[in-house]
Amino acid sequence: MKVKNTKSLIIQNILIFIPFLLYGIYKNGFLIYEKGLINLVSVFKPFFLIIIGIIIKIGIDILMYKKIKIDYNFVYVFLVGMIMPYNINYLIYIITFLISYFLALLAEKKLKLEFNKVCFIYLIIILINSLFNSFNYQNILESNYNYSFTFLDLLMGRNIGGVSSTSIFFSLISYVYLTYSIYYKKDIPFIINLTYLLIIFIYFFITHDNTILLNSELIFASIFVATLPEYSPYKVINQIIYSILIGLIASFISIFFNSIISIYIAIFLVSLLMNIKNIKLKFKKEVVNK
Amino acid sequence: MLQLIKLENNNHIFLVNHINEYLNPLYIYIPIFDKTTFKMKDYVYKNTLFGDEVASVSGNILGSKKIIVNKKHIPALKIKNDFKENNISKKRVKKINSKEELIELLNNFNLKDIANIILSKQNIKNFIVSSIDEEIYAINEFIILSNYYNEILDTIEYLLKLFSLDKSLILTKNTNSKSIKNVKSIIGTYPKINISLVPDKYLISRDEFICKYLNISLDETLILKTSEIYKIYKVLLKAKMNTETIITISGDAIEKSLVINTKIGVSLKELLDEFIKFICDDYEVYVNGYLSGIKIENIDEVIITKNTSSIVINKSKKEEESSCINCGACKKICPVNINVKYCYFNKLSHKNCIKCGLCNYVCPARLKLKEIVMSDAK
Repeated sequence: MKVKNTKSLIIQNILIFIPFLLYGIYKNGFLIYEKGLINLVSVFKPFFLIIIGIIIKIGIDILMYKKIKIDYNFVYVFLVGMIMPYNINYLIYIITFLISYFLALLAEKKLKLEFNKVCFIYLIIILINSLFNSFNYQNILESNYNYSFTFLDLLMGRNIGGVSSTSIFFSLISYVYLTYSIYYKKDIPFIINLTYLLIIFIYFFITHDNTILLNSELIFASIFVATLPEYSPYKVINQIIYSILIGLIASFISIFFNSIISIYIAIFLVSLLMNIKNIKLKFKKEVVNK
Repeated sequence: MLQLIKLENNNHIFLVNHINEYLNPLYIYIPIFDKTTFKMKDYVYKNTLFGDEVASVSGNILGSKKIIVNKKHIPALKIKNDFKENNISKKRVKKINSKEELIELLNNFNLKDIANIILSKQNIKNFIVSSIDEEIYAINEFIILSNYYNEILDTIEYLLKLFSLDKSLILTKNTNSKSIKNVKSIIGTYPKINISLVPDKYLISRDEFICKYLNISLDETLILKTSEIYKIYKVLLKAKMNTETIITISGDAIEKSLVINTKIGVSLKELLDEFIKFICDDYEVYVNGYLSGIKIENIDEVIITKNTSSIVINKSKKEEESSCINCGACKKICPVNINVKYCYFNKLSHKNCIKCGLCNYVCPARLKLKEIVMSDAK
């Protein structure tokens, strides 16, 4: 068993994201550049989205604490950059990221309200972006060409989703690696996906609609976003309830609204719901040592 | 629920294969727990008892000094060794015919801990001898078995007869190849004694974990450590009071790990000055284990007591406490499934805590969890 400190856990998380980022640059940059549809600088858009997030995080740190804090917010800004849609407008991204990140910090500090920061920032950006642009997750190639992908292509990451989060293959490898760590809540992704598949299979048998069966965004978010230690429960029983709730909400939103965004809404709502338990706990005095 | 955990090993400790001796200290210190009266310059004979504490050398009382035992400051007598080893009248050991007589003898020779272990087992059906050290940084039990295996095996056979048992089992970690080789070469001549290998996992040295691993009842099993067997040997065959103890000094801040047979009451500073070469100036000292032991701030205040088993000297990590990230590793690793985080933030100790220190060991935020959780534990 390897013992880690918070800093090494953050570094481990960021290192895991590198293959995803490289694949994002390949799929949403290099392939489009090859067709002559974008310039060379635009190839690195997935990378720039993360850099913007890091600069905002460092800027707010210096503004609020007068120093750069090495905390889990680094992982959050990485995740937000990775799950953004390809068509996100830079200006909207920068402004909304800055405001929503600041608001999330403020809510956490002043109101003592805990919710999944990644999902909060993501949903705010998507909401604001959809007001100005048409809401679309496809990149230029996906919206201009018709593809006939095999299951293996989809597994490797050719499906529609976040800019660097579509590779199911990397997600599964990362999950297997993370399950060996004592710090990782491995039951959460398993139960979320199980609940989701159960509902979606029932839906499939009724309607024969198979478009939302393979949801790469759900797999990625359940492995990395739902398991963020600060916003997920640590007791096994609470983890089970938390995961089932996310799986249920995500599957229903997938069926009735949008499959890509569903998991983030579900995680955000359930993490917000956890505050009720925390408020209750403050009033309840349990005596462990009688 | 009891779970065993594989920890990262301290590799350089396995290079140790012999016992160094430090039996002629300049001074010894005897902690005074009760209101024992003494005068300056009084002569103290070796084996004199001060409550439960024994004078391990003979000499004159020079004065007193504050020392730390179990995190508490207590006074201790300072005795200057005259190197004459003048004993108070030697006790004779008569032939032991029963368990009760053995318990009485052990009590007479100030081995009350071992006597209480035997006394607590009314109906002994299994007899286990453990050569497993609890701490990852200690190697005492293994070294005793590999160096005194003749004495250990003879004593086990004697105790088997005394308890009217058919067989006994020596347990050792599967990584201790040397001890297995030595004992295996001779064990054929002791048909009632077997040796068994156990996995190298933390806490497997504890009685409840051994019984769970072997699937036997704890109430019917007498488990003694090799160090305890060796103490019994010294009483039975040599009528010697326990004035020495074997300790491991290890860690990554020293050049070489050592196992030392030292007099009880020696100052830790004196021992370190004599044997240890430090490889850095910034180090942390832990008494009785890195995980479950106590961190020492001032080594001048520490003496080697009969309960000291290891000194760990590690490079100072300078890791400050950060805020809890809610990873739940403390709860996940706890062998008795205590909600450590809840106890820590509500400042509650837990009666079921087994003081293993695993919660502290895994915490990525380096919170001092064990100090809260184990503070009033049994």
